[in-house]
Amino acid sequence: MSRLAMIVVLAAISAPALVSIGAARADGLSEWATIHKVFSHPRCANCHVEDERPRWSGDHYGGAGMHGFNIKRGTDGSGFGNPGQRCAVCHFEANSGKPHGPPGAENWHLAPAEMAWFGQSSALICAQIKDPERNGDRTLEEVADHVRSDPLVAWGWNPGPGRQPAPGSAEETYRALLRWISFGAPCPGT
Amino acid sequence: MRLTVNNQPIEIDADPDMPLLWALRDLAGIKGPKFGCGIAACGACTVLVDGAPVRSCSLPVGAVDGDVTTIEGLPEGNTLHVVQQAWLEMQVPQCGYCQAGQIMSAVALLEEVDEPSDADIDDAMSGNLCRCGTYPKIRAAIKQAAELKTKLGA
Repeated sequence: MSRLAMIVVLAAISAPALVSIGAARADGLSEWATIHKVFSHPRCANCHVEDERPRWSGDHYGGAGMHGFNIKRGTDGSGFGNPGQRCAVCHFEANSGKPHGPPGAENWHLAPAEMAWFGQSSALICAQIKDPERNGDRTLEEVADHVRSDPLVAWGWNPGPGRQPAPGSAEETYRALLRWISFGAPCPGT
Repeated sequence: MRLTVNNQPIEIDADPDMPLLWALRDLAGIKGPKFGCGIAACGACTVLVDGAPVRSCSLPVGAVDGDVTTIEGLPEGNTLHVVQQAWLEMQVPQCGYCQAGQIMSAVALLEEVDEPSDADIDDAMSGNLCRCGTYPKIRAAIKQAAELKTKLGA
């Protein structure tokens, strides 16, 4: 669009409308910041990785490191591990009560590689969440429902002894997602 | 509580939160699976549930949903499982403590991969630790077992 055309378009939008659009974007970005704190938290991001290796992290690890035991996504790409060493060898349907024991939840597995969050910027995670080709072919409302109702996602707020839970709750994150959507689902830097 | 272990029904009086390993060793007297770490980090306690390997030290007995196989249940009559035969032929064990778990993981691997590569073996077996360092022999024995299995059509 030429500079002149842009001026004409802007002139056609009333000043209160511009203020309103700007306010909605600011409110939306504020909601996104809440959501991003959850998605980028180790309880969520450690299994949303781009490569083959889930991560371990926590106060006693001194930063994020690779999951022990040569655990990988799986040669079949399923995210459920490799023959002889599937995730379910150690990860059952409930957390071990012992410090450093294996955490557990239904359907324990790595998120698909295209849903990578670990080490990604807020803007990249936001763009991924909005892209059906990288969010499991979900609408944003379905993304919100997934966060509220999926048992493996829920584990992030109930991670077992010695692990810091994700901030807030599934319900609070769901509501933040709905508010973010209502404000137009803005992403940082766009 | 009722379990099926090595094709035998057993009745045990156990708290559902008791680790399966405790139930097997202390209540059912099945001592093949070993206690190593108690947090699923060494593999000595590995057994199969409906053919899938699990760390029995961390699986609550109340959560067992399927038939349990321990190393005692691998032979058919007097015939050792091909993995056990290969283990003997390759003289894998040194102290032997981890070997029941190693063998159960190897059995699970060969159920899914007929001719495992070194990488397949590393991917399957890295959760089974051996303080004696028998890893090269474990790898050789798994390949031997794969050949034997193919030969026998097992």
